[in-house]
Amino acid sequence: MDVIDVIVKIITWPPLWQLVVLGLVAPLGVVVGILWFERKTAARVQRRFGPLHVSPRIGGAIQLIADLMRYAFQEIIIPKTVDKGVFLIAPLTALVLSIVPVVAVPFTSVSHYWPIPMEYSVLISLALSTISAIFIVLAGWASNNKFSIIGGMREAYMITAYELMIILAILSVSAMTTSYNFVDVVLAQTGGKWFIILNPLAFLAAFISVLMATSGFPFEIPESENEVVAGPFTEYSGLLYGVNMGAAYIKRFVYSIFITLAFLGGWLPYQPGDGFISGYLIPSLVIIVKATILMAVFSFLRAVYGRYRLDQALDFAWKLLFPLALMGFGLGLLEAYIGLIG
Amino acid sequence: MVPPKPVPKTKPRRGIFHAFKGNLEALMIGVKYFIDPKRFTLIYPKEYNKLREGYRGFIVLIKQKCINCASCARICPAAAMKMIRIPEVDEKTGKQKVKNWPVIDYRRCIFCGYCVDVCPTEALYHVPYHDVVYQNMAEMYLDLESFQKPPEYKAAEEGIPVRYIVDEERGLVKVPYKEGEK
Repeated sequence: MDVIDVIVKIITWPPLWQLVVLGLVAPLGVVVGILWFERKTAARVQRRFGPLHVSPRIGGAIQLIADLMRYAFQEIIIPKTVDKGVFLIAPLTALVLSIVPVVAVPFTSVSHYWPIPMEYSVLISLALSTISAIFIVLAGWASNNKFSIIGGMREAYMITAYELMIILAILSVSAMTTSYNFVDVVLAQTGGKWFIILNPLAFLAAFISVLMATSGFPFEIPESENEVVAGPFTEYSGLLYGVNMGAAYIKRFVYSIFITLAFLGGWLPYQPGDGFISGYLIPSLVIIVKATILMAVFSFLRAVYGRYRLDQALDFAWKLLFPLALMGFGLGLLEAYIGLIG
Repeated sequence: MVPPKPVPKTKPRRGIFHAFKGNLEALMIGVKYFIDPKRFTLIYPKEYNKLREGYRGFIVLIKQKCINCASCARICPAAAMKMIRIPEVDEKTGKQKVKNWPVIDYRRCIFCGYCVDVCPTEALYHVPYHDVVYQNMAEMYLDLESFQKPPEYKAAEEGIPVRYIVDEERGLVKVPYKEGEK
């Protein structure tokens, strides 16, 4: 066996490929593009140019790489008053835990390329995705700064607002297909019967609650710049701050993958075949492209919306979003009962 | 005196569909601007704002018209305009004499234009630009020579002139400046 063959085998080993390439490298690439898109879109709608003068011919696309390098080479300052261990561990753990749910997500229908058995993948991935938020609260607490603590408490309040809705909204597809398996959920959408068309209420609830979970713009409450400096991340600098921000975006990317699988047909117009390229690479690319488009929609909202107050967001979540998610669940059950789903 | 009772603000109750409609309208406006952006950022060194006639920019003296009356120095609210005494030879009689000439201190000037208005012989005028750079504070106190020529306008040499107009539909719009426009 050749050396290159061995390396290719190791890289394409499903757990490694899924966690490192699809969980870390792909989101980072997507995030750089999406951050640029977000700034350019907000500028376009608000009649400005956005980043431009770094590279005028391609619309300032290198600006984000320049920012990234600045974060990478900045000194990481650890204040004397912080709880040092927790202060350092919290953002790193949040980053790792926001990648972990990818391991329970099938990117193809070929069982050879699943990292783990997929019988309960919906439940496992949703359960794993809810852990990382606690470390943001922890980061705010460990920073020992009034803005950090206020930001962390806001995050804690927001967890009560979005967590139940996100689980209800995505589990409504399980009610529709009577299965906790993401593969079954995707295969039930064959033939253009995407669940966004069959169950738009659940999709809307999932969309809004993901927006809340990742502090997207109408609900950008924990990190609101003009109230609490950077929320839980106030004391962080340099690469650690970048890790914090990256964790938020990776979380949003992972949630986008969930929504893509649950409502947007996953890899679906493409049928996975045999072999690595046809059976794994192309379906995962289809999913990543769909998730990227979804993320672009998330970042477009920044150009339009202001920011809700914390009480308004909680009010909205429990008075409107919760009934919406329940209605989506009920609609899914009804459709399954009358046999609309194959 | 008894303070008036606080009356709680009551919002008119609107239904859920009203909120939904409002969100949808906001999103549609966002999409509209995204497709057709109406930008008016001035990309400064490459473009510059060609200001209209009558703009109160930097002030220039025409020495031939000046009658040394010192009205400008007297009316200046910021005491930026000052009269300085310069000895010179009278052309007719050939005698030595001292005359007062106005000079301006741009460290103090507020560009109110009173000096230009009050001048009885129109010896002072505004140039229609204000983006002039001096290397240090001392340079901003002009002497009689530099007060007579318009300050150097670097942006006009490098950039292209644009104008801002208020359009009925599009709001504030940046248009290229046409030659000969006032």
